[in-house]
Amino acid sequence: MTIPEPLEILIEELSKLPGIGKKTAQRLALFLLRSDENYISRLSDSILSLKTKIRQCSICFNITTTEICDICSSPKRDRSIICVVEDISDIIAVERTNEYNGLYHVLGGVLSPLTGRDVDSIRIKELEERIKNGNFKEIILALNPDTEGETTSLYIAKLFKESNLKITRIARGLPVGGNLEFADEATIGRAVLNRVTIQ
Amino acid sequence: MVLSSIGLRNFRLHKNTNLDFSKDLNYIVGGNGQGKTTVLEAIYYLCTTKNLNQNQDSEAVSFDEKHFEVKGHFRDLTENITRIHFDLETSKKTYFVDEKQTYRASSIIGKFPVVTLVQSDHAVTLGAPAERRKLVDSIISQYSETYLIYLLDYNKTLRHRSALLSKIRELNDKSLMPQLEAWTETLVKMGLEIIKHRLKFVENFNEYVCHAYNKIMEKKENPSIEYNFMGETRESEIEGKFIQELNNSREDELRRAKNLIGPHRDDFHFYINHYELRKYGSQGQHKTFQIALRFAQFFYMKDRLGRTPLFLMDDVFGELDANRAKKISMFLREIGQAFITMTDLTKVESIHIGNTDLLIEIENGRIVNA
Ligand SMILES: [Zn+2]
Repeated sequence: MTIPEPLEILIEELSKLPGIGKKTAQRLALFLLRSDENYISRLSDSILSLKTKIRQCSICFNITTTEICDICSSPKRDRSIICVVEDISDIIAVERTNEYNGLYHVLGGVLSPLTGRDVDSIRIKELEERIKNGNFKEIILALNPDTEGETTSLYIAKLFKESNLKITRIARGLPVGGNLEFADEATIGRAVLNRVTIQ
Repeated sequence: MVLSSIGLRNFRLHKNTNLDFSKDLNYIVGGNGQGKTTVLEAIYYLCTTKNLNQNQDSEAVSFDEKHFEVKGHFRDLTENITRIHFDLETSKKTYFVDEKQTYRASSIIGKFPVVTLVQSDHAVTLGAPAERRKLVDSIISQYSETYLIYLLDYNKTLRHRSALLSKIRELNDKSLMPQLEAWTETLVKMGLEIIKHRLKFVENFNEYVCHAYNKIMEKKENPSIEYNFMGETRESEIEGKFIQELNNSREDELRRAKNLIGPHRDDFHFYINHYELRKYGSQGQHKTFQIALRFAQFFYMKDRLGRTPLFLMDDVFGELDANRAKKISMFLREIGQAFITMTDLTKVESIHIGNTDLLIEIENGRIVNA
């Protein structure tokens, strides 16, 4: 039997999702086929609105539905402290711990000459700009403890060597070779609390 | 740890071979090309998931077959069955411990330790420094996962740094220098850990080499391994030395776009009675040193891991004189379980075969006598 084309296409698209193999994709597609129309339109609307309604915060590059994200616009957040992360998923990880109340800066990558990534291809200039114009007292570097993350931390620390900023790096409570995203909340929470000063 | 039995399916000449082993010495005898080394190759697969002689997995599949499978039964405090399957068409290798699939080779490091003494070992004393680094790295990595991680990170740092050096040279862009500084700092940090581990290792390992060497040698000699980082052995001074040498070579590194300083260029020097083996050693001394290194590795790993490695010895007796063959066969008694291939038994009458040892004769991929 040949599978009808619309179903075939859906299976193909679903199997592009992370962690979804061909078999699972087929199961999901058949489930959707049997679902009622209301559910399907809610689902497709919500997927579409990811792209139409969500954008980058113009200050910290977090995701937001407004010009400036919740964190940057909240009067309750401590504006003297900034946490530098590689990716949005790291903000989610640190926020879940409830141990941090400062602001963020999403680099959107780390230094990696092998893949052609240098200072100009991640948001380091933007970070410098923010530091210059803000009233920060402390920078927390919360990058992954791999070679690229470590080197990026070293680079940023050197960049602000002449300033009076306190520069800390989250403590290595993290498993060696482990990624921030996958570490459990307690571990990240402890790591943020036990951060070590490099300057 | 003891390997009590093994099963080979479509593995080179072995269409279907099952073998029970002695917990002591297992002599595997057969002419060239009859499939005796293949048994060692299979055992090595079971312990490491990798090929003994760094051949392609596809080469181990029997002619006209589509896959191979090797299964082994290990006994230690617990029993483990490991199984490896290779499919020729998809080039996919799957590894199971007690029928549970293992996805990362690194997760079994140190679990089924194995020490090999093979023909290509001559490169360890006669070949380039990379051969000696390979030996040292493979030993330390078996008991220190930290070392393995540092080693992988260090190698990645080297690749990043040389990519950046090339870019700086190509674009002649000095604004990239602060980035180079950051990568250099990472290089020093990772490299320092590697050097420290190597210093400590050599310090402890020497005693094992000395012991093993004199078990094989008829007259007492004093073998040693020496290691230093660019002439420095004091741990407190190494970081300073490392940074200073990097500074001295900066221009050179930029010109050649190459990492010129660091433990990736280390060497380990072998001495006998304070004479360097490479320069002054006789052929016999080289051979003895190569064998002693593997015996030393065996006892060192046994002490560090608290588990007894398997010992595989491929066709080493053939090139030894009767006296040394006898000494080695006596030394093997201290090992526990070992697997030893030989072309010809009559040639080495001096080898002592005990009641509990096993003699396996192999002809054209079949067991003719076990
Ligand atoms: Zn924001």
